[in-house]
This record gives sequence, structure tokens and C-alpha cells, in this order.
Amino acid sequence: MPREIEPPSVQKEFLESALAEGKRLDGRLPLEQRKFTLTFGAELGSVECRLGKTAVLAQVTATIVKPRDDRPYEGFLQITSEISPMASSVFEAGRASEDEVMITRLLEKSIRRTEAVDREALCIVAGEKVWHLRLTLHFLSVAGNLLDCASLAAMAALRHFRKPELEVLGDETIVHSPDERAPVPLAIHHTPLCLTFAYFEGLQPILDPSHIEEILAAGTMTITLNAQRELCVLSKAGGSPLSVDDVMDVVRVGVERVRENVKTIEEALENDKKSRVVEVL
Amino acid sequence: MSRLEILNLAGLRHDNRRPYELRSLALSLSPSPTADGSAQVTQGLTTVQASVFGPREPRQRAAAAHDKASVVVEVGVVPWAQGQGGSRSRGDKRLLEIGAAIRQTFEPVILTHLYPRSEITVQVQVLAADGGILPTAINAVTLALIDAGISMLDYVTAVSVGLHLKQAMLDLSAPEESDLPTLVVAALPESGRVTLAQMETRLHVDRFEEMLRLGVAACSVLKEEMEAAVKQRTTRVVERMAISAKGAAKDD
Amino acid sequence: MFTIARIPPAPTFERGSSPEAPVRMDAMDVDGDDLGEGTSLGARRTIVSPGEVITSSKEYMRGHGTYVEDDNVVSAVAGTLERVNKLISVKALQSRYTPEVGDLVIGRIVEVGAQRWRVEANARQDAVLMLSSVNLPGGVQRRKVESDALKMREFLAEGDLLVAEVQAFFQDGAMSLHTRSLKYGKLRNGLLLELPPRLVRRLKSHFYHLPPPAGPVGVDVILGLNGYVWVSLGTRQDDREGGEGFDAEGVYRNDNDEIDPESRQAIIDVANVIKAFAAHGVPLADTLIAEGYQWLRDQALVPGVPLAAADGERMVRELALSE
Repeated sequence: MPREIEPPSVQKEFLESALAEGKRLDGRLPLEQRKFTLTFGAELGSVECRLGKTAVLAQVTATIVKPRDDRPYEGFLQITSEISPMASSVFEAGRASEDEVMITRLLEKSIRRTEAVDREALCIVAGEKVWHLRLTLHFLSVAGNLLDCASLAAMAALRHFRKPELEVLGDETIVHSPDERAPVPLAIHHTPLCLTFAYFEGLQPILDPSHIEEILAAGTMTITLNAQRELCVLSKAGGSPLSVDDVMDVVRVGVERVRENVKTIEEALENDKKSRVVEVL
Repeated sequence: MSRLEILNLAGLRHDNRRPYELRSLALSLSPSPTADGSAQVTQGLTTVQASVFGPREPRQRAAAAHDKASVVVEVGVVPWAQGQGGSRSRGDKRLLEIGAAIRQTFEPVILTHLYPRSEITVQVQVLAADGGILPTAINAVTLALIDAGISMLDYVTAVSVGLHLKQAMLDLSAPEESDLPTLVVAALPESGRVTLAQMETRLHVDRFEEMLRLGVAACSVLKEEMEAAVKQRTTRVVERMAISAKGAAKDD
Repeated sequence: MFTIARIPPAPTFERGSSPEAPVRMDAMDVDGDDLGEGTSLGARRTIVSPGEVITSSKEYMRGHGTYVEDDNVVSAVAGTLERVNKLISVKALQSRYTPEVGDLVIGRIVEVGAQRWRVEANARQDAVLMLSSVNLPGGVQRRKVESDALKMREFLAEGDLLVAEVQAFFQDGAMSLHTRSLKYGKLRNGLLLELPPRLVRRLKSHFYHLPPPAGPVGVDVILGLNGYVWVSLGTRQDDREGGEGFDAEGVYRNDNDEIDPESRQAIIDVANVIKAFAAHGVPLADTLIAEGYQWLRDQALVPGVPLAAADGERMVRELALSE
């Protein structure tokens, strides 16, 4: 298994001196995020997000299961990630590296624990049948900042997905196929999106680090915000210490950025809706 | 299922504390004689013991970095920590995350360039869990590293902060942690800068700033306590060594 | 703006009930001659802890245990402040053994490599013992032959204990040892104690011989500066280096001599005495060990049995602290 080779110190110095002048290696401004594009698949709930060269594919599928005994009104939302050497030769097939565990946990915290998806709305028959949503993320290409890309893809997929319309007649539940009745969107409370900042010793933080910036950074901080100015998850684990004011500056920048991103997602969803025949005519 | 009252009418929490009151703090240095450095910290009913080994030869030769020490953190929870005969509901991923957080917190604070090609191993054992495992663990690791004589920039102290209907609270216990939005803050008290911040629940941005500042102030208070304990022990040991040296010198 | 209240904690292990003011002297006001110039009066020393600003770095240079930030010399460890003219350093209370050239150390072989052995010596990294730095059997001046390189395990194999001296350092700080003296080499006939390195100070000689009545032939003690102490069967003066009884061919013998029960008891008693001193943080010295053993015999305690905690305390108090 080839290990990631540390970049030479000259590269680090070059990057830091450029940053001191406010320039990044790929020409972006320090707080500029790469443009991202969302490509929707043929199935509902399948989205590929490309953030620069980083690509993540998110897919949502649903099955009907029996709910937990102590929570008979709630459905399930399970987030799994598949990481394979296709994304980068550093990854091993099947084995979760520490980074991958962090990404999955942060996404779980961002989406599941903040109740982005209303789980009670997933209930079909209390105590007997609920929807079990499975959100699978495939990391296709690693070029820095997997987490932000994954979170965009995940939220877009969840908003894109439609669960089949149901009819409950007595003891029977009839699942209508999309040809018969229009499928129903999920009940989504808010759209939390992750933003990752990298910072170097003594310099201002940068948004959306590229691969090389990620490796050389003294630390990263990820914040998850939604469009209602609420902070959902904040994770700054180690790295060089920041003063409280620096942290708040970053948070404020993040608030604006997330608003923009949510708008972009909504536009993309609109465009897709127009081009897709969802309703039965 | 009865719900605990977070704040009762008298403004007291379920364990009779005021909102800004920290739990009782007990610090003990060198409880483990075999480790290079060790410490045990008890905050309220949460007890965490940390042991530090190193700097020493890395277990895997390939893992040695040529210009600095590598830091390895392992976290374990004893089965009886939660009471009720040991249910390991957390699972390994949560412990891995805590371990990674501790490692990333201390790596820039330890002066690793002084110990090239060596490894510093930190073992954390949670002996009793009643909320605030990560902050207590960080405090224990700081004391253990100081006990081992490993050079650091400053103490790293940590505390948990919660929010209940616009009232911020410090040092949450387990029932409070599961109900309220919680922020764990670790800071370098001398410079007032934040080195670790973790939050997992929805919180408005303005409230967040207040909690962050409160957490940093609480970290300074904790440092005073820890520093007093460290200095007291250091003084005792130095006195003992000096007296014996005098005695031995007299014989010569 | 707000105050943070604290319940004073119940007396813990550390916070005794006596209200002695913790030595919280701001190191800023220890300038000039206030700093004890290397006196051994421990109570006067200034205690600092990590993150504490000591003084301005415009006037003083920083030494071990400190770092410079924003024109200040800041302590990086918890320990005592030491000043030598313009150099400020902090001696940590406890740290891994830091070797210096000329130190005597006891180590254990962990690996046999190409013309060298790797020795574990309780330091930050394993030490290296080169084949060219050992005495080959048959005399000190024997030429090294190629076949010696293939027979390295006959001399020292994995798990063997040896006493050596630090010759030099490698680039990354690892020690290079040598045993090029007849008093160094493989260790036999004894037992190893592992103590905190700070209890062994640099002294004139690290080889002590406790004469009989400590066993029929006495007991040898070797104090390694890395905290390893070797207590073994006493050797007669003749059998030691340079004497007529010295066995040049047998320096790498693997077997132990015949040791009678009284000697064994003596060895164990001396080891217990050393352990008791170490448990109370008392630095070791030859006279102290001899006194301790004498005290043990005077007390007529059951020989060979580990020292009870109370007895250990008594001994330490009477011998070490009363002076």
C-alpha cells in the first residue's frame, strides 16, 4: 500500500509565502470556494457532486422495515460511505482509515443528529412498518476537501429523492410504483452543509482546501451551518490554536457561504425537475 | 420515563449547582508508577486516568518521523464505567474519534521537534463516566504529560458548555449532556486561544459566541487548579531530593 | 462580566489540609541575585510550570526546558528554574534519561544486526553497540577477524544484559556504546532493578562493593545512570579487572556461578533496600546503601523478605531525612 508522501519543505514554504500575500496555488482568493456542479442520475436520489476535481456520488434508497420497539414512530436513516482505491491509491479497499472514519462521523452528526430529515414522517404504520433510508456515498476522486463535497452531494440527494406513494388498507400496505402514482419527497427540515477551513500558522484561514493545502495545513476546522444561521456541528480538533475572534470570523464567513450554496442546490434541483417527468400525466 | 429538570425554579441544576459552577475537581499525579508519567482527574463523577510512555523507541520502525516525535493515543472505557454492569453502547468508533481528537489537540502543543525519531504513547482509561469524558480526558493527558517531563507550550485545559433556553451552563453531567446542545472547548489558557472545539447540535450563531468565550474563561480557572497541584507536588519532590542530597553529601 | 464559582474540592491526594502557600512566585521578579546560584537548598528554588513566562528574552538566553515566544522566555516543563549567568533553563522533575558522553549505562540487547547490536537502555531511542567497540575474548588487543562478525550471537545475544559506557551520539540522538574496558561487559550472577533515572546521579564511581557481612563474599552493586541497577554476587578484588584471577576468555560466559543461599539472601536484601529508597524518591549513593543494609541487619528483620511499607518508611526517615 503506497503511503502518501509528505510534500517537500520547499513546497510548504512556497505555499505559505504565497498565502501571506493573499494568493493560493490555484489562483483562488483565500475565502473562495471552488465551483461545484451537481449532476443528477436517472434514478431519483442519485447525485454526483463535483467540487473542483473532487467527486462524490450519493445515492438514496428506501426499504420498509419494522421500527425499533422503543421508538415505534420513527424511521431510520443510515449513512454509509464506500471508499476504494479508485479515489486515491492511498485508500485500501474495505478498510476504513482514520480520515474516512472522521468524514463519516461528521456527516452523521451533520445530517442525522441535527434532524435534517424528519424521521417521524417516515412512519407508515406505527409499530409495524417504517421507511429505512440508506444514503450511500461513493468517493470517486480525492482532490482535497472530501467532506464538503460529500455533504453537498448528500443533501442534494436527500432533497432529490422521492419515496414511493403508499396506501394503507387495513392490514395491507400497497406500494405504488412511480408509474401509477407520483412519488413523495422526504420531509426535510433544513439543509445543513459542511464547510472546511484550513489554516496555517500565523496566517488567515482558507476555505475549501485543495489536496496539497490539506496535507500541509497546520489544522482544519469544519463547521456545518444551515440557511437559518444556525450552527449545527463545529469540529476543530487540534491544529494550531485560534483566538475566539478568529473562530467567530470564520463562522460568519461560513454563514454567508452556506446561504449561497443552498441557493445553488435549489437551482440545480429546479432545473432537474423541469427536465424530468415526475408526475403522471 | 421521568425527565430531569435542567434548571429548577431556584436556578439550580439537577445536582444542586449553579449554572456557572464547575463540578468538584480532584487531581492526582503519578498514580501509575510504571508509566513515565500519569495522572488521574475526577470531575464530579467522571474519572479518567491517563498514562504516558515515552519518548521511546517507536514500536514500528517505519512510523518514526525523522525530525519529530510521533504521538499515539489509545482510549479505552472500562466495562463498569457507565454503571449497570457494563453496556458498551458507545462502540469503537466513538472511542477512535476521541483518541484522534486528543492526538490532534496535543500534537501541536508538545514540542515534538525535541524528540526526533521517538514515539510518545498516551493511554487513556475512562474509569467512571458521567458526562464530560473528552474534556476530563484532555485535562488528565495534560497532567500526565507534565508528569512525564515532556516539553509543552502550555497547559491544555478543557470544559464542556451547554445551553438551556438562553442560559449557558458549564461542566455538564451525563443527563444534561444528552438533553442540551453541548460545546466542548479546549484552550491554551495563557494565550486564551482555542485548540479544540466540538459541537454536535443546532445552535444559533450568536449564542455560540457567548458559549465559546465562557468556555475559554472556564479553561483558565481550571488551569489555576491544575497548576497549583503540579507546583505543590514538584515542591515536595524537590525538597525530598535536596535533603537527601545534602545527607549524602555530608557522608562523603 | 460574570464570575465562575467553584466548590472547593474535598481534600484530594494532592491538596493537603495544610494551607502552605504554593510556590507561585512570578518568575518575572527573580532577576539578579535572587536566583539561588546553584545552591542545593531545594526549598529556595523557584518552581515553574509549562506556559509560565520566566523573563524577557532580550537579556537572557534560553536553555533546556524553555522556549521563546514574543520576546519572552517561557517554561515548557514543570520543574526547577536554573540560571547560569545569562542562561536560563528549567530542569524537569522527571524525564526520560538524557545521556551524556561518558555515562555508565546498563542495557539489554534487543536485536543483533550487521556488525552492531541494538541495546534497550531506557532512553528515548535504543542505543547502538558496534562490534568494533567491544572487547573480544582472548584479550583486549586481539585483532578483529571476519569470522567475528558471523559469531556475534556467541558474544551477545538477544536478552543479554550488559554494562557499557556512552561513547558518542548519532545524528538523531541515539547513543553509541562501548565496553572497551575490563570492568564493562556482560552481566551475570545477579538481578536487575528498574528505577526512575533521576535517582541515580553522576558520581565518581558507579561500581560498589559491599563487603561481608553482606553475604559470604559480599555484594556488588552497579548503578546505571539510566535507572537500571544491577545487584550481584560479590567478586573478590583479584577477580576484577587487572587482578590475577581475571578470566579473559570467559568474559562472554552465559552461565551463572554457583551461589549459596546466604549470598542470595544478601543480594535480595540489598535489592530491597534500594527499592525502598527508590519508592520514597531518595537518590542513591553507596554509603546510603551500605547504611541501609546495616540498618536492615540491625533490625533483625526476616532476611530475604521484601521490606514492609512501614519498615521502609522508618528506614528512610531515620537514615535519609534526619541528616
